[in-house]
Amino acid sequence: MSPRPPSRRELEERLRRAEAALGAIRAGRADAVIGPESALVIRAKAAEQALRESEERYRLISQMISDYVYAFQVERDQTLVPEWIAGGFERITASTPEDLQQRGSWTSLVHPDDRPAALERTRRLLAGQDDVSEFRIVRPDGGVRWVRDHGHPVWDDAQRRVVRIYGAVQDITERRSVEEQLLQAQKMESIGRLAGGVAHDFNNLLTVILSTTDLVRETLPANDPRAHDLQEIRKAAESAAALTRKLLAFSRRQVFQPRVLNLNLLLEDLETMLKRLIGEDIRLVITRGEQLGNVRADPAQLEQVILNLVVNSRDAMPKGGTLTIETANVLLDETYAARHVGVTPGHYVLLAVTDTGIGMDEATRRRVFEPFFTTKGPGRGTGLGLSTVYGIVKQSGGSVWVYSELGVGTTFKVYLPLVTEALSEARKAAAPAPARGTETILLVEDEPSLRRLVKRTLEASGYQVLAADTPRYALQLAQQHAGPIHLLLTDIVMPEMRGPELAAALAQSRPETKTLYMSGYTENAAVQQGLSAPGKPFLNKPFDISTLTQTVREALDAAG
Amino acid sequence: MKRRGGARRAPRRRGETPYRLRLFVAGNEPHSAQARATLERLCQHALRGRCHIEVVDVFQDYRAALEYHVVAVPTLIVEEPPPVRYIVGSLSDEATVRAALGIEGGTP
Repeated sequence: MSPRPPSRRELEERLRRAEAALGAIRAGRADAVIGPESALVIRAKAAEQALRESEERYRLISQMISDYVYAFQVERDQTLVPEWIAGGFERITASTPEDLQQRGSWTSLVHPDDRPAALERTRRLLAGQDDVSEFRIVRPDGGVRWVRDHGHPVWDDAQRRVVRIYGAVQDITERRSVEEQLLQAQKMESIGRLAGGVAHDFNNLLTVILSTTDLVRETLPANDPRAHDLQEIRKAAESAAALTRKLLAFSRRQVFQPRVLNLNLLLEDLETMLKRLIGEDIRLVITRGEQLGNVRADPAQLEQVILNLVVNSRDAMPKGGTLTIETANVLLDETYAARHVGVTPGHYVLLAVTDTGIGMDEATRRRVFEPFFTTKGPGRGTGLGLSTVYGIVKQSGGSVWVYSELGVGTTFKVYLPLVTEALSEARKAAAPAPARGTETILLVEDEPSLRRLVKRTLEASGYQVLAADTPRYALQLAQQHAGPIHLLLTDIVMPEMRGPELAAALAQSRPETKTLYMSGYTENAAVQQGLSAPGKPFLNKPFDISTLTQTVREALDAAG
Repeated sequence: MKRRGGARRAPRRRGETPYRLRLFVAGNEPHSAQARATLERLCQHALRGRCHIEVVDVFQDYRAALEYHVVAVPTLIVEEPPPVRYIVGSLSDEATVRAALGIEGGTP
């Protein structure tokens, strides 16, 4: 260091140097500044820290929005050379970036069927267009993952070409699987509808076969060898009926094992468990509807519906509150049905689960049954609880609705079709005791062979039968008949007039006449359509002779 | 302590201008490393070895930096031939360095 004071020229020179140094520091071209005591690497370290932070941020964002990100350098001959890959590449592809480099082309990862589309995508990217594509990746072990790849090309003005492609890849295998399941469910529903139609016609035919066989057998003398042949016919017809039932069950996806059950009894069984489930901060109120009708559902699945709804309500009340479960018999009328898609007017059993929790806004309410839609934090909900509720209720022929107000609470209402069958298996176990009578029965059935058969059977049991092929003719017969008509036995679906309409018309002149419906539709469906009422006998086709005579007797003996 | 690890000494030839260069670096920090590499390459090729480089690491000897009024590193001081010139930064802009060394557009 020089002891003499610096000249003006020297000072100017130092100032220039200081300015140059400052410029270099500002531009980030310096590693360190020289302080009076030491060399300080302030700026360089800060940049390093910023870089580290930026890398961390980038890594986290990459993880959040995608499963892995990549950059390909585009050579002049348009080959793509992987520059870097970050994130879960190995987890998704079960390959390393080095494997990719060795294989030469990224399309080697792609499922052969998707390769043409993948090449087309590369062409678009190289032409400078952004691209979002979904395709399958095949792992070395043959496993397949669906991915969604968002590619972004970087255009270089000087070279007038794309020089780099950035991409973010998401594993969408789960989503694809759900989509496929939904498609599958739709397909199953179509098949189910077809099967249901066929089964309906089959049931009529099988009823004739089963009942005629029984009739013939009754006329045979004991020990007649032809009885064995008739037994064979009966067995075959029973097998066909079983097949028809399976066809119907298939359309409802098989695992469904419906039984007639009562929601009040189910709630009684569950109450202790529900109390444990919701904890001490929440008050549980169960209001059981009086003389609650039965429903037909898979008991395990219905339990699941209740549990899922209760858990959902519990989670909506983190600070406690009241959880109310109600049951009731309800009649959903035409007005209600018109405003609720998929609802058929009729008698239902209502299960309502209400909480005094946080409630939900319109957007949430609209999506609440969507698979994987959840407002709960990670690890708290799968987003499938309410979807499961929806699926089970639909499968049980019911509907589920949600009503909610922010800050007030939420009510889920499940409507299940009310069925007239008793809880016990009494009907199945009932001994085929001869059920006879002498009353007059007006029979209306448009299917000739079935009409003849029912007439024959009932006459053989002692009844007087007036048989009509159309509702119009039935009303005419009723008018001409001088004596009482004790029972109207009619099909539900007929040309010109439906069974219930006929019953109403007949009731005008003969209010004392009772009605018994028979139908190839399941009783469940008949109840849903308001064709049957709780507590009233109903004749399911196909039926055999003893079921026919038993049910007719039951209908005649029924009160009112 | 001065570190002279980066010094390049070449046989002096008659009639050729020798270059005396002093490069201040901060250890192996990125700009410093780049500056050193650039300078050594220029010295070997463009100057055909007619240069003497003294590398000063400010982590080892920051007083030298004070003595030469160096504010930020890397800084290259071209001491000879005169006049004395300072270049701050990583020397990534080779054209500027060549101009400062007077070898713009080819070898002198």
